[in-house]
Amino acid sequence: MKELEKLFNRIVQRVNINLRELNFDISPFADQLVPPDQMSKFYAFYGITTDHPLDLHFEHSALAGSYFLGKCRVRNSLLYKSDIRGDELKRKDHTFTFNNFTLTLTRDEIIDIEDSALVKTLVHNYSHDPETHEKFFIKNTLAMDYANIHGAPSDGCFLGPFATVDLTTMRDCIIGAYSYIQAGEIYHLKVDPGTIWVNSPGNFNFFYKYLPEDLERYVYLSPDKVPWGILIDFIEERKNQFQRVFDFVNLKAIKSVPETASLDRYAVIMPNIKIADNVLISQRAYLENSILGKGANAQENCFIINSCLEGYNVTAHGAKIVESDLGANVFVGFNSFLHGKKGSRLQIGQDCIIMPHTIIDIDQPLEIPAGHLVWGLVRNMEDLLTNSMSLEELNSVESSFTKGRLHFEGKGALLVKAFQDRIHHILLANGAFYEKGKNAGHAQRNQKLSLNTIQPFQFGEKEGMYPNIRIFP
Amino acid sequence: MDNFLVRDLMVPISEYATVVVGTSLIDAVKALEQAQETFTMSKYHHLAILVLDERGQVVGKISQLLALKAIEPEVTLKFEIERLREFNFSDAYLAQLRDLYRSHGKIMSKDSLRQASVKKVEEFMQTPSPGEFVSETSSLDTAIHRLVTGTHLSLLVTRGEKIVGILRMPDVFAAVFHKMTALEKAP
Repeated sequence: MKELEKLFNRIVQRVNINLRELNFDISPFADQLVPPDQMSKFYAFYGITTDHPLDLHFEHSALAGSYFLGKCRVRNSLLYKSDIRGDELKRKDHTFTFNNFTLTLTRDEIIDIEDSALVKTLVHNYSHDPETHEKFFIKNTLAMDYANIHGAPSDGCFLGPFATVDLTTMRDCIIGAYSYIQAGEIYHLKVDPGTIWVNSPGNFNFFYKYLPEDLERYVYLSPDKVPWGILIDFIEERKNQFQRVFDFVNLKAIKSVPETASLDRYAVIMPNIKIADNVLISQRAYLENSILGKGANAQENCFIINSCLEGYNVTAHGAKIVESDLGANVFVGFNSFLHGKKGSRLQIGQDCIIMPHTIIDIDQPLEIPAGHLVWGLVRNMEDLLTNSMSLEELNSVESSFTKGRLHFEGKGALLVKAFQDRIHHILLANGAFYEKGKNAGHAQRNQKLSLNTIQPFQFGEKEGMYPNIRIFP
Repeated sequence: MDNFLVRDLMVPISEYATVVVGTSLIDAVKALEQAQETFTMSKYHHLAILVLDERGQVVGKISQLLALKAIEPEVTLKFEIERLREFNFSDAYLAQLRDLYRSHGKIMSKDSLRQASVKKVEEFMQTPSPGEFVSETSSLDTAIHRLVTGTHLSLLVTRGEKIVGILRMPDVFAAVFHKMTALEKAP
């Protein structure tokens, strides 16, 4: 047995030990997750920039096609085409406030990945765990295709395809496919596929669950098959375009990008793209025949096709926007799938909040009025009426309501404020408000980024593994 | 009376309402009615039906409450409400949700009654818990203790491995308070 296989088997065992109480065996899902021959095919790469401290430490790991930025340690782990973005980690002397506690960091925060397998997974943001503010840990964890681990330290967890855990510490949990969890802390919890749960204890609790028969058309995971569904097919159909940008060391620069905007070298840019000032296009984003107005952003694994984004739009990690027109300040949450079609375009009015993991898949034109919150599955006007609410109405909710498959308890105004504050923070961090040298963010800073590659062993017992390396200035 | 044993108060299983696994709710209720008509040992009617497997072993019990629960529609929704507890929803919200779902699903309608009547007993029977058994040679003290601590309406009476009868709470209640009344009258 080669080293790579031994490593993977060890990770599977460790995750299974953690999930024994939930009686969950990840082995059937892990079996075909990463064909070993793929692990020696792709180089890993890392960014060098003056804006983020660099310290990378790789030990007994396989890193095929993965990207690293900032401070990160990877031990006994297998990462496949994953993005480990440490550009929002906390820095030394940063003051961290939690409830009535205030702590000052004695050193820079680091992403620490150990005994884990991450496949096409995005790791971003910083640890929101009040007990480990200097370490964003991910251990004994298996994350499947297009999962997002966003500010969410993890120990002993399984994340299904397209699962997102956001600003939440998780221990010994199973997060089903296409579920989105933002709940602070979760333990020993099994989350069914298609669960959207946003909980701020004492403030609000938002819970929606897709009907399994509706969700399985889009994402389906079973022990005896690789993940399949419309979302997987959608990405597969565009896979070759990504291959092109990863195959070439130097790509021709696109001249039409304004100086204040940033277009990542590993984004796919198809014909007819207009990019305004302060736009941020992250790596593995895919743009085709679209307009991005001032301050708009397209984060990792986004797809924007035949669409127009008026400006200051947040398109969060993994969101897909097709044949749609979005007004200003529209937020599209993680992994949402907005699927208009030719002759059946989707129009979204300004200031709308499309909740994470929302699916809008229409065969008739649909217009979402300005200032609405939209969630769940929307296929037509009838669904929209059930799965949306004006922000004004939501602001007036004082205790609870049930609408369709949505359960809400708490104050609606606090949910609205939490999202609006976060959208503003994202735009600020991304440099959307940059003006005359002030309010610079990722869009301006990422221009000063260069990339280096590292290669795996190509032969022998260690084929597919990477040498132990420490990279620091 | 002080020396009463469980077997002195139990109803033999042959006189009790029993059905086999696979019986429908409506047939189980008919079996209960029939058993009540033929049972004359006590003024108290049988309130439960025992479910037997193919070997004649008791594998479950159906009370009137369980039968009523079985005819409540929207089982899936009820399950979902219970799961919401894991996701930090308050008891007040869950109670409100139950009322909401109840108002949607009418119980006393032809459709839901017809649907419920064909449900198999094993879908809603209660499997006996370890504290629900008592030996036929046990004292009444032991039986009362088990009824009270387990809040059971009846106990299954055993002889070795075999279930030979059922000890009903009304019979125990009557025996206890008969003795109490007798003591009051005594000099």
